[in-house]
Amino acid sequence: MDNKGSSQKGSLLLLLLLVSNLLLCKSVASLPICPSGAVNCQVSLRDLFDRAVILSHYIHNLSSEMFNEFDKRYAQGRGFITKAINSCHTSSLSTPEDKEQAQQVHHEVLLSMILGVLRSWNDPLYHLVTEVRGMQEAPDAILSRAIEIEEQNKRLLEGMEKIVGQVHPGVKENEVYSVWSGLPSLQMADEDTRLFAFYNLLHCLRRDSHKIDSYLKLLKCRIVYDSNC
Amino acid sequence: MKENVASTVVFILLLFLNTNLLNGQSPPGKPEIFKCRSPEKETFTCWWKPGADGGLPTNYTLTYHKEGETFTHECPDYKTSGPNSCYFNKKHTSIWTIYIITVNATNQMGSSSSDPRYVDVTYIVEPDPPVNLTLELKQPEDRKPYLWIKWFPPTLVDVRSGWLTLQYEIRLKPEKAAEWETHFAGQQTQFKILSLYPGQKYLVQVHCKPDHGFWSEWSPESSIPIPNDFSMTDATVWIFVAVLSAVICLIMVWAVALKGYSMVTCILPPVPGPKIKGFDTHLLEKGKSEELLSALGCQDFPPTSDCEDLLVEFLEVDDSGDQQLVPAHSKEHPGQSVKPTHSDPDSDSGRGSCDSPSLLSEKCDEPRANPSKFHTPEGLEKAEKPETNVTQPQGPQSTSVEGKIPSFHASGSQSSTWPLLQPPSLHYSRSSYHSVAEVRKLGLGTAGAASTLLDKTDTRALKPSQTIETGGEGKAAEHRESESFRSKTDQDAARLLPQDKTPLTSAKPLEYVEIHKVSKDGALALLPKQNENSSRAEKTSTPETSKEYSKVSRVMDSDILVLVQDRRAQNLAPFEEPAKEAPPSLPQNPAAVDLASFPVAPSNCRLQLGGLDYLHPTGFMHPFQ
Repeated sequence: MDNKGSSQKGSLLLLLLLVSNLLLCKSVASLPICPSGAVNCQVSLRDLFDRAVILSHYIHNLSSEMFNEFDKRYAQGRGFITKAINSCHTSSLSTPEDKEQAQQVHHEVLLSMILGVLRSWNDPLYHLVTEVRGMQEAPDAILSRAIEIEEQNKRLLEGMEKIVGQVHPGVKENEVYSVWSGLPSLQMADEDTRLFAFYNLLHCLRRDSHKIDSYLKLLKCRIVYDSNC
Repeated sequence: MKENVASTVVFILLLFLNTNLLNGQSPPGKPEIFKCRSPEKETFTCWWKPGADGGLPTNYTLTYHKEGETFTHECPDYKTSGPNSCYFNKKHTSIWTIYIITVNATNQMGSSSSDPRYVDVTYIVEPDPPVNLTLELKQPEDRKPYLWIKWFPPTLVDVRSGWLTLQYEIRLKPEKAAEWETHFAGQQTQFKILSLYPGQKYLVQVHCKPDHGFWSEWSPESSIPIPNDFSMTDATVWIFVAVLSAVICLIMVWAVALKGYSMVTCILPPVPGPKIKGFDTHLLEKGKSEELLSALGCQDFPPTSDCEDLLVEFLEVDDSGDQQLVPAHSKEHPGQSVKPTHSDPDSDSGRGSCDSPSLLSEKCDEPRANPSKFHTPEGLEKAEKPETNVTQPQGPQSTSVEGKIPSFHASGSQSSTWPLLQPPSLHYSRSSYHSVAEVRKLGLGTAGAASTLLDKTDTRALKPSQTIETGGEGKAAEHRESESFRSKTDQDAARLLPQDKTPLTSAKPLEYVEIHKVSKDGALALLPKQNENSSRAEKTSTPETSKEYSKVSRVMDSDILVLVQDRRAQNLAPFEEPAKEAPPSLPQNPAAVDLASFPVAPSNCRLQLGGLDYLHPTGFMHPFQ
């Protein structure tokens, strides 16, 4: 849809702008948030959440586009969706499945859930990039997005850890995350099996990125705006 | 019998089927789920399209099972969303879960099932349109009037908790217009429109989109009439535009006025007049020819220190004190041996940077130019055609002089020798000029031609010219050397010329002349001594060196030099002289040259002459390398 695309592009630009700001802040450059010369630059929680939401929104947009591209190009008529049932590695992490459940979860728990999901995707994203590169006629639309998602996922993880440090300081959390074991499937010689493995991975990525985006927006409105966005 | 029964039964069955078909009853056709939507990401509805009903009342049921579960559920609500729909309420809706939904159509005749549809609520969110769209015309006193549009998010969507984030878009148009004017409003729930046509009725609509979902439908139209007195134009804008354009016009006029000429020249460039690069006519007017020439680029003219070194080497200190050697490097005293009449205004008198030591210093007896000697070279010269060239003073053009010189020098017989003074540089020209003048003064007048030659040389010398080349080389690099040995040859010539045995001290020989060959008459063919540094050893002017007497075998008496051929010189012929010819006139055996013909008078002078270098065959080479 044109409207969707144009609004996505607009939000994408905004995201990139703010992401670059996020990066600059990391390098202790002078930023409006961190006054220059401040030793302990404490970014406000509001800004942390704003940036995290922007990142998560961006990552889900990329995942969605990547999945659609793959589906259109490789998965037509193969009925992959019928097989991609209950096949995401992060399903072992119990996460709220609707709004009521999410609202009942304490924000610290929700934050750790988000972190768990994010950490679970570090490894798969890395291998996704490697394997997409190795695909015959590796489509640039998919590869470039995969690379970008991997990059932004790391940033989001760092941002989330900062948020946790501010919201929930001092508590050492257990780093719980799901182990991904789908690499052999991605490297199968059989094209059908391999393509399904990619499809499944992209499908799960799209879902989990949406999940993280939703949780973060809930948390932002709850913590920063006091449930009055 | 049995066959008859069987066939009868079949016939009856067929009849029944036909009867049914004729009645139009059949199992239901396959239904199809065509749409599933969630308005707020908390509930969702699926709609199906029934197939052919087969003429019988058909019952539709929707069954589903969720990802990760094995139970099959039936649709909890068939009513809420209208016919042929199934509404999943909050309790039955799970986000991030795939629903596999199937619709079954059943009728009396049979049933059929639709294809399973895989639905994930996450991706089917399509909200309702925004509500309560209000339009208001605001006309504040100090500001422009505008249309203020306000709305509210759809009721079902939970924006406050952040479960859904909505973005809005409005569109408006005058009632009669065909195209809508769309504006993106972001997440705000209000918008201001500034550009409106007065006197028309405007229609406005708004719709929204969730952060990862579909655009909603457009809200119902709201209309508002714009009054006629709604002033939209701002006079200040036009005034600003007018002032700006006036300023721009003024600037352009001013630019044209100031730079008009340059613009015209840019378009129609003037025809350039003739001009020699680096040539400053003013200098010419002033008479500062050396500056002029330096501007033209003959920096190394006269030769510089290396030449001096050469001269130093060359220089032989005489044993008597009366002979004063002019140090090669004594540029500053070039005029030591130069007569006071020397009018050279330059500090560098005539010698140029490389002051050739005057072998025949003041202390030496004044060399007298031997008229006979003058004759000889002159004769030699005359013998050659190219000589004539020499005698013709060329115009101020140095090139012409240069052109002449080679023939002059090198001429097949290499007879020239003489002046090799070409007016290579001002300094040199002067020096040569002076030396020649000196020589002349010493009594060389007998050599009419020579003097003429000298005159010519002088005149030539007077003319500022570039380096002169001997031997046909026209290379600028060699100018230096040529000049250096011009000076030397000059000196040599001076030395060789004296009528008496005194060296031409007055002449202050500035150039070294090398004996090129000896004619039958015993005349010496002199060549300008080439630059020591450059070619001491290898340059031989003539290939047929056999005729060259360039090596001093011994000195007889006090004033006789015995010259011998130098075999070595035969092999060395780096220079190609344009008009080289084997000089046949030279005797093949060592000839004793009457020293009297040499400007060698005192022993010391002779020593100088007898110096290895002076008469070294390699020295008698082509002045140019």
